[in-house]
Amino acid sequence: MPVIGIPVDHLNRLIGRAIEREQLLEHLQHLGCDIEGFATLARFSCGVCGHINEVTESEDAPAYCERCGFDFRSDEAQRRAIDPIDVVRMELLAVRPDIFDVGGLARCVRGYLGLETGLQRYALEAAATHVDVDPLLESDAAYRPFIACARVYGITFDDDLIRVVMKLQENLHWALGRNRKLASIGVYDLDTTRGPYRYTTIGPDQTRFVPLGVTDGRASSPREVLAEHPKGKAYAHLLEHHERYPWLIDAEGNVLSMPPIINSEATRVHHGSRNLFIDVTGTVERVVHRTLNIVVTSLCELSPEIRVEQVEIRYPDGKTVTTPDLRPQRVALSAARTNKLIGFSPSEDELAELLRRMRHDVAIDGDALQVDVAAYRNDILHERDLMEDAAISYGYHNLVPSLVRSMTVGQAHPNELFAAKARQILCGQGFLEVMTLMLVSPENAYEKLRIPTSESHVVIEYPVSQEQSIVRESLVPGLLETMSLNAHNDLPQQIFEVGHVTELAPTLETGARDYYRAAAAIISAKAGFAEIKQVAEALLRELGYAARFVAASQGTFIEGRAASIVVETADGATPIGVIGEVHPEVLERFNLVHPAALFELDLAAIQR
Amino acid sequence: MKLPQHEYEVMQRLATIGPASEALEEVCEATGLDQVHVTVAASMLAGRGWLSLDESSFVELRLGKVGAELAESGFPERSSLRAIAAAGGRLPIAKLAEAPGLDKKSAGESIKHLATKGWAERDKGELGLTEAGRAALDVPSVDERLVALLREMDRATTLDELEGAADFPLEQALALLRGRRDVLSEKKRTRRRLSLTAEGRERWAAGIEPLIEVTQLTSELLIGGKWREVELKRYDVALDVAPQYGGKPHPFRRVLDETRDVFLQMGFSEVDSPHVESAFWDFDALFQPQDHPAREMQDTFYLGRPSRTILPAKHLVETVKDTHETGGESGSLGWQYRWQLDKAQKAVLRTHTTAATIRALADDPSGPRKVFCVGRVFRREAIDYKHLPVFYQVDGIIVDENGTFADLLGTLSAFYRKMGFEKFDFRPAFFPYTEPSVEVFVWMEQRKDWVEMGGAGIFRPEVTIPFGCHAPVLAWGLGLERLAMFRFELDDIRQIYQSDVKWLREVPLCR
Repeated sequence: MPVIGIPVDHLNRLIGRAIEREQLLEHLQHLGCDIEGFATLARFSCGVCGHINEVTESEDAPAYCERCGFDFRSDEAQRRAIDPIDVVRMELLAVRPDIFDVGGLARCVRGYLGLETGLQRYALEAAATHVDVDPLLESDAAYRPFIACARVYGITFDDDLIRVVMKLQENLHWALGRNRKLASIGVYDLDTTRGPYRYTTIGPDQTRFVPLGVTDGRASSPREVLAEHPKGKAYAHLLEHHERYPWLIDAEGNVLSMPPIINSEATRVHHGSRNLFIDVTGTVERVVHRTLNIVVTSLCELSPEIRVEQVEIRYPDGKTVTTPDLRPQRVALSAARTNKLIGFSPSEDELAELLRRMRHDVAIDGDALQVDVAAYRNDILHERDLMEDAAISYGYHNLVPSLVRSMTVGQAHPNELFAAKARQILCGQGFLEVMTLMLVSPENAYEKLRIPTSESHVVIEYPVSQEQSIVRESLVPGLLETMSLNAHNDLPQQIFEVGHVTELAPTLETGARDYYRAAAAIISAKAGFAEIKQVAEALLRELGYAARFVAASQGTFIEGRAASIVVETADGATPIGVIGEVHPEVLERFNLVHPAALFELDLAAIQR
Repeated sequence: MKLPQHEYEVMQRLATIGPASEALEEVCEATGLDQVHVTVAASMLAGRGWLSLDESSFVELRLGKVGAELAESGFPERSSLRAIAAAGGRLPIAKLAEAPGLDKKSAGESIKHLATKGWAERDKGELGLTEAGRAALDVPSVDERLVALLREMDRATTLDELEGAADFPLEQALALLRGRRDVLSEKKRTRRRLSLTAEGRERWAAGIEPLIEVTQLTSELLIGGKWREVELKRYDVALDVAPQYGGKPHPFRRVLDETRDVFLQMGFSEVDSPHVESAFWDFDALFQPQDHPAREMQDTFYLGRPSRTILPAKHLVETVKDTHETGGESGSLGWQYRWQLDKAQKAVLRTHTTAATIRALADDPSGPRKVFCVGRVFRREAIDYKHLPVFYQVDGIIVDENGTFADLLGTLSAFYRKMGFEKFDFRPAFFPYTEPSVEVFVWMEQRKDWVEMGGAGIFRPEVTIPFGCHAPVLAWGLGLERLAMFRFELDDIRQIYQSDVKWLREVPLCR
């Protein structure tokens, strides 16, 4: 999860009271924030683009500007140290993108502390311009059908605010936008554009524009942007099946952006920008709207003096939508069901107050609470989500832990009980239990054991390493590997494993089946067949079977010193395992310099 | 009178030489006993007042490494002396190193000794032969003679012995050689001499017999009753013995078994589910949207073989699909995207044991019911000290019409209390399939900090309603390797599966 640093002073200023650090930490944790701790950040303003670069105190001063990429080592004077700030560092709570920035977080904390409760309302000015949406955006040729926009006036855009907005944009791209796939945000200097706007498409080589960050005026075609620009390369996969690319232009044909890749340099927001145009495009309508709502309402929290003007979106089918749409979502909540589920007992009034502290408006109608949920909340899909909000508002730490009253009788799984018996018997024979990973390499499982690769093992499609690329079909490779790892330890060594193996089973629902096996090995100066046979016989005797050992041949074992283990079951004489002295070539391949003997049994076949 | 065998033999030897004393080494040689045995026997006899033990220290002397070289190739000042004489009595210092038997280093060294012995004088960069030097030309000096003597003896010797052998002033020779590094090797030694006291000799004369001591009591001694005639040797009971290690369960097995025991004690039934699982049961059935990051192939092991699975009855799949897309019958808005069948059919290695509990719920959605599963889960992680691609979880559910979130917190507290923790903290969290959701933290006294142990919550209605369950389902999934790492003080998770035999042998069963 990405981590954000929320400036402590700014947060306290927006909350409207100075909160002790310990207290703040506790409040944030009770709200579900995963806090890493407090830190002081050193800050360096870039003399070229004005961007504020932040590093923790233990890190070196930045070598490059993280925004424009300027190499400070070529001109140290451009790296300007400014006052450090104290921040509280926390992991992003992916489900609450409305508290990713200091403005949204302060709004939430004010409610939690009861300083300001209920729905926060924001004034919107009526739409004075519109966006025409091209029908091609709904086709597979250029699929990205939804857009939502806003115009913002009277903002004081200093370097700090630019930084906050940039970070918010980046984090929303990650959490809500699924790395720009579902939604992506563009912010522009409104005064460089003129409405109405067109959300349309462009061919890869149809025109050229100067993408953001290119300061020498060199224009590129959309195709070149995807191939050469750093952002183009990072997000080109989102357009890889597109014949035409999404394209946002103004009334005069000036390019605002090529969503979801890059804005144009000409519309760049800078220090001193007063008015903004904001767009969100994407593939899931609800996410596109919520994303815009979060950006706009957080801006209002950060700069209460701004005015927000709606924009009308005209879809090709004649439908028009006015954005941002900040009308609350109405959800009905039963007080009785809430109390029954959480296990607490506030009155309807108290419950309503708990929800108001979570910044919802609540009207009480007997047991039914009519809850108005803010348009920036993306996580309220169901009445149940409000029950959790009520519980968080109440405080998980204030709930009294209890136990269900219903009586049930416990029952261990029969496979586990049988496996436990096998383990107990082998421990009694003086064997140490080992545990190995279920993932193995084909080399260890077959090649090194001198047996042909089976067709019945499960294969991982994209393994992290060849060492763990298939699921084991046998416990033997794990035992030999364990002996190999223990070559430096005192002999004799007697080890066993009782565990699952997995085998393909095409007729079964999942195409594979797991079953328990038991395997044991001895390595010592004179480990041999007789010694391991005693153990196998003892194990089977305790499990209630008399075993026969029938001479067999298997590459893993020395010829003439290997056997198949056969027992009488309800199905008649059943081979259930193998036993033998390990072949010298196998020992050599596992870097072992002492003789070893082992056996492996299928427990599933003999389970009682 | 009977004496233990060794004491008897030492007395016997000393009695043959009368009141005279004998060195310990000689007693050993004469009796054929080890030095340890003779030492012990002597001190026992001395304790009785029958033996007197004289200890004296002396200096043992032999040629050192440099001394042996000097003995072999002669003293450098002797070579210098000859070279100066050969040059007519005066030789530039710079030319000295060219003389036979000398090199730059030994030539330089010789100048100091020429001066000490008064054989030559330095004058304006030259060495001039003195009268003493001329006299010494054909006469070895005392130090040269001592080195020659020691070489001739070719063994360690003592000052006393040298005093008798030297026909030159020994002290003067020693003083000269001690001034040169590693020519002489001198070590301080202790010499023990044993003799019988008058009382000892009287006792011996009065008659003493050896006592037969037996170490191992044997069947023969028992059957013949002979054990009565022998002395069973006393042992040093504090002596170290070789450690013995039996067979035992793996330490992590004990954590897994304890976990199972705790839930069995609380009335839970144990279930399992396949390691190879469909994405449907692993994700879709749990309302995890198909574009959720956890489902991506960077995090989940999708399988090349088998690659597809068979999904349950069509109506069930349709219900799950509707719930994802629009909320279906669950009262939810759903995720509002297009759900795809082929994504649900993919075969994965199960990423959590919640796949087992949701299957159990689908099999029987009625309550009250308590179910748990301890099993392996798989995540696409590279192996390092914190991560493994395979690890264990315990998942559990309680299906109960009257189950509450507070009951969930109480159940988790009971589990961790039984696993040895005393303080818990419950913090809000987010998982796609539970609401409310909670993360469990336990207080680690050693670290003085809260440590996250796992996630829990009440299954969302979008999860339970498609399977016909309308009661609250309290659910949790907790990692178990972490518990083992704390208990066994491991700082590297790989140690659990490396099964180092030394560690397995030595880690106590009770911990």
